[in-house]
Amino acid sequence: MLANVNMNPSIPPSTAEYGGDEVSAIVLDPGYSTTRAGFAGEDTPKSLIPTYYGKYSLDGQENLIFGDDVFVTPRPGLSIHNPIGRDGIVEDWDMAEKVWEYAFTSRLTGPKPGNPLQNGLNDVSEGELPTEMEGVEFEEKLLADSPLLMSEPGWNPTKAREKTIEIAMEKWGTPAFYLARNGVLSAFAAGKASALVIDVGASNISVTPVHDGMILKRGVQHSPLGGDYVSSQIRALFKTSAPQPISITPHYLISSKTLVDAGQPPQVKHKTFPPGRAPDASYRSLLEERTLSEFKECVVQVWPGPNKLSATGPNGVLNEEVAKSNPGRPFEFPDGYNQVFGVDRYRVVESLFDAKAAIPDPESVLPAPSPAQTVPELIKNALNGVDVDVRPHLLANVVVTGASSLLYGFTDRLNQELMQMFPGPRVRISAPGNTAERKFGSWIGGSILASLGTFHQMWISKKEFDEHGPNIVEKRCK
Amino acid sequence: MAAADVRDMLDLPAEGQPRPHKKQKVVEKRPEGITRELYALLGERAPPIAINENRYKGRPKWMSKLRVRPWQMTPFVNSARSDGLVLRHWQRKHEPGKVPALERSEMEVDEKKDDKDNNNNNNNNNNNNTNNTNNNNNNNTNTPEIPAQESSFSKYNVKARVPNRYTDEEYNRHLQSDKWSRQETDYLMDLVEEYDLRWVVIADRYDYQPHPVDAEANANALVPAKQYRTMEQMKDRFYVIASAMLALEHPPSEMSEAEFELHEKMKNFDPDRERSRKELAALQLNRSADEVREESILLEELKRITANEQDFITERRELYSRLEVPISVGNTTMYQSSQGLSQLLQTLLQADKTKKRRSIMGPEGAAPSPAGQTPAPNAPGSARDSRADTPNAAAPAAPPTNKKAAAAAAAAAAAANKEAQQAVRTLTPAEEAKYGVQHHDRLAPGVQFRSDRAQKMTQAKSNVQTQKLAAALAELEVPLRLIMPTERVCKDFEKLIHSVNLLLEARKVAEKVEGEIRVLEAAKEERERKTKETQDKDKPEVKSEQDDQLLSTADAAIEAATAPDPLSTADAGDKTADDSGTAGPGQEGASHKRSASVLSNMSDKSSKRQRK
Repeated sequence: MLANVNMNPSIPPSTAEYGGDEVSAIVLDPGYSTTRAGFAGEDTPKSLIPTYYGKYSLDGQENLIFGDDVFVTPRPGLSIHNPIGRDGIVEDWDMAEKVWEYAFTSRLTGPKPGNPLQNGLNDVSEGELPTEMEGVEFEEKLLADSPLLMSEPGWNPTKAREKTIEIAMEKWGTPAFYLARNGVLSAFAAGKASALVIDVGASNISVTPVHDGMILKRGVQHSPLGGDYVSSQIRALFKTSAPQPISITPHYLISSKTLVDAGQPPQVKHKTFPPGRAPDASYRSLLEERTLSEFKECVVQVWPGPNKLSATGPNGVLNEEVAKSNPGRPFEFPDGYNQVFGVDRYRVVESLFDAKAAIPDPESVLPAPSPAQTVPELIKNALNGVDVDVRPHLLANVVVTGASSLLYGFTDRLNQELMQMFPGPRVRISAPGNTAERKFGSWIGGSILASLGTFHQMWISKKEFDEHGPNIVEKRCK
Repeated sequence: MAAADVRDMLDLPAEGQPRPHKKQKVVEKRPEGITRELYALLGERAPPIAINENRYKGRPKWMSKLRVRPWQMTPFVNSARSDGLVLRHWQRKHEPGKVPALERSEMEVDEKKDDKDNNNNNNNNNNNNTNNTNNNNNNNTNTPEIPAQESSFSKYNVKARVPNRYTDEEYNRHLQSDKWSRQETDYLMDLVEEYDLRWVVIADRYDYQPHPVDAEANANALVPAKQYRTMEQMKDRFYVIASAMLALEHPPSEMSEAEFELHEKMKNFDPDRERSRKELAALQLNRSADEVREESILLEELKRITANEQDFITERRELYSRLEVPISVGNTTMYQSSQGLSQLLQTLLQADKTKKRRSIMGPEGAAPSPAGQTPAPNAPGSARDSRADTPNAAAPAAPPTNKKAAAAAAAAAAAANKEAQQAVRTLTPAEEAKYGVQHHDRLAPGVQFRSDRAQKMTQAKSNVQTQKLAAALAELEVPLRLIMPTERVCKDFEKLIHSVNLLLEARKVAEKVEGEIRVLEAAKEERERKTKETQDKDKPEVKSEQDDQLLSTADAAIEAATAPDPLSTADAGDKTADDSGTAGPGQEGASHKRSASVLSNMSDKSSKRQRK
């Protein structure tokens, strides 16, 4: 402790002094669409599973399916659920806990600790009896050896945070725990302590101002225009598509298909399920969603700017005309139907930036976006929520992360919008080109953070939890 | 006797140079995998053949000597934590007896640990070291009671320095405020400490509940309108408290400089100013694109203007420096000979030297020297130097004009200096004459010598004319080069030359007319002779008429030429005589006489010729 007196906080440690000190911590980054888990210090999460889980009953007994298995078998009555609500906050804690447990056990810790006498690892060669092992508690908790770092959205309510630490400490028995905001972690992954993090996820777009590794709560903004919203826009587009409305038939419903020309109705033989044996509609929509993500990856493109798609470009030509003149992109659906998508591929994402451009769809579960929900407005509101002195710095450190930000041309458009909104200060977007880094930004940040030697003083230990109760998470994870 | 012995005897250094090697016989090594016979066939200069054997290379030999260094999962504590959380990480295992030099410090730490708890050293690994003689290491198994080491990262647990907390008494006496309750102040201070003075975060998280009540009660109870605090208000309150606490700790008179500075800074915090600054910053941030463009244009313009100004200033400075350089006082003609050039070179070198010295001497010598030739009057040392060197500088055969020129230049410079010193002082005509002050309508650039100018006048356009002039002057006993070319002498000399020129001109005209007269007279005589002859024989009418005409013209010409001739020459002579008479009393009188005699001579001659 005495050594601390000599430390000057304004002088950073020299390069040689920085260092990782890994304590085999596990980092868990739960999202609406996928849950990422892995060991701290690695560059990608070892365990990547969908947050969706399947539920079906067989012989009067309820069964659950986790992980990638949910996509595989269309069991009778299989319904798909998500423990996390559309706003990114956990709704079903029991199931969330199970999904997260699955994330650990499927790849990281093994299914169960098991009896250490029988797992073959402790065989004694000389025939001595390992008497010491008798006192070992066999019912070891899931994470008894590993500190756990979890991420949470910036608007996570106190109750949810307390519930999270309770699960980690009491159910999983982790020796140390920390709950970090995923905005902060994404900023760390980009190597910044202060940044404006724009996280485009599946269910939400969030804008988080981070200052010195802490979020500025008044600036945190989020809106439901995430990847799922883009999917709903694509569905709306398909409904009104010419020459005929496009319906998505997932692979599991197709028994055979033949090649057709572009725009021709599909020649397909559908699979039929005996009555009562078909899976739930939610299963179908989950699999449709997979096709749609493929569509998003291959076809969808964000109008790069400089103005809105509906506006006139800098040389007096309507942007839409320019977009039309660009060559289209073909896409083949699972049933063999294929079509070239021209200007439509810009339209489905335009409403992320321009609420008026949304394709109306009364049947969609997601309401039509309001102007305040678009990305530029979110950024503006976020910046208005923070002190004016840090705004230019935040604009110079915009971090774009989240899998949906991989939409083609997204960062270009974002850059254009920001330059238009803030012509004065320097705008600089930092978006990793590596897709893994973009998808797992907050997990990677957590991996960095949890493997730092200086982070060890931040953990909430089991002892502290026992002393202060779950509310300690509010005090420590600021 | 060996060479070494000789060296030894002569006290030469042993083996000064390496002895030339004996011619080495290059023996190429026969590569492996090729028979001797085959290799012999290759001859002397075998092409480089790579003979590779296909075999497993494996690890380099030196690597096999290294032992595997085991790592160990070791627990550690972080002293920055109060709860003694034990975490575990991998660390290289300590093996006594084989301490690598590289890890001395690490080992020392380990050894200390060994001393304290010898019994707890683990030895679960089965690869026993043969040289492991430490018995303590062999009798234990892995136990959870391994002493936790101190984490090397705990030293990074630093907190910002926050002011001491006030006591109740201190608060009541010094820190009361109308706007801030004690509870809220406490809350603010807690927050400041918690967030290490990061005001951005503090202002963001500031959420003071006037009456802390639990959530249920809160839902029912009437919540008083929450006071919204701006960052400036918080800062203001905090700085008031911090400065007051600092002053309580040390009265301002006893503070160290840094403390006092901090105290002053905190005391002088002005929230209103800070607020208006932030408003301006927000305005600046939210400018429209047009405004930004305009600003950039204006900035560009400003940059251009300042750049131009800079250029202008440098140009002007250059101009001034040129103006300040003294006008060269020398006549360039003197540098046209090689001697003159070498002298110039030397004087320049000299000037360089003195300049250098002057710059060492200090600001005294900063005044620019008038010229290389003339030493600055205000630098006595350098002046002495240059004077001492003058004989050197002046080449032995240097023309006397150079010295004169130098003297004249020095005089001019001195005069200039004097004039500069007493700048405005009007002189009466008498004084002007006394001091030799003159006013010129137009000054020729550079410096001229009066003697030069006088001499130039003696040079006529044609050589013959020059000779005539010289002859005339010689007759008058006036030297071609004036002995004392004072102002007035020069003026008179000029007049003399002018009149001599006039006379010469007149004589030329007179001679010409004389010649014509002679020709005509000769023609007349011839004609008379012929008429006489024809009158003697017969009279051709036509011819006489023609002759008559000729005669009449000749007569007229003679009259015209002779009539004005003596008058004009006399006139000219009078004029010169008058002028010289008024100008130079003594000498000029003589010239007058002489010129008169010359005139008489000339008229005599012409009359003689006429007579002839």
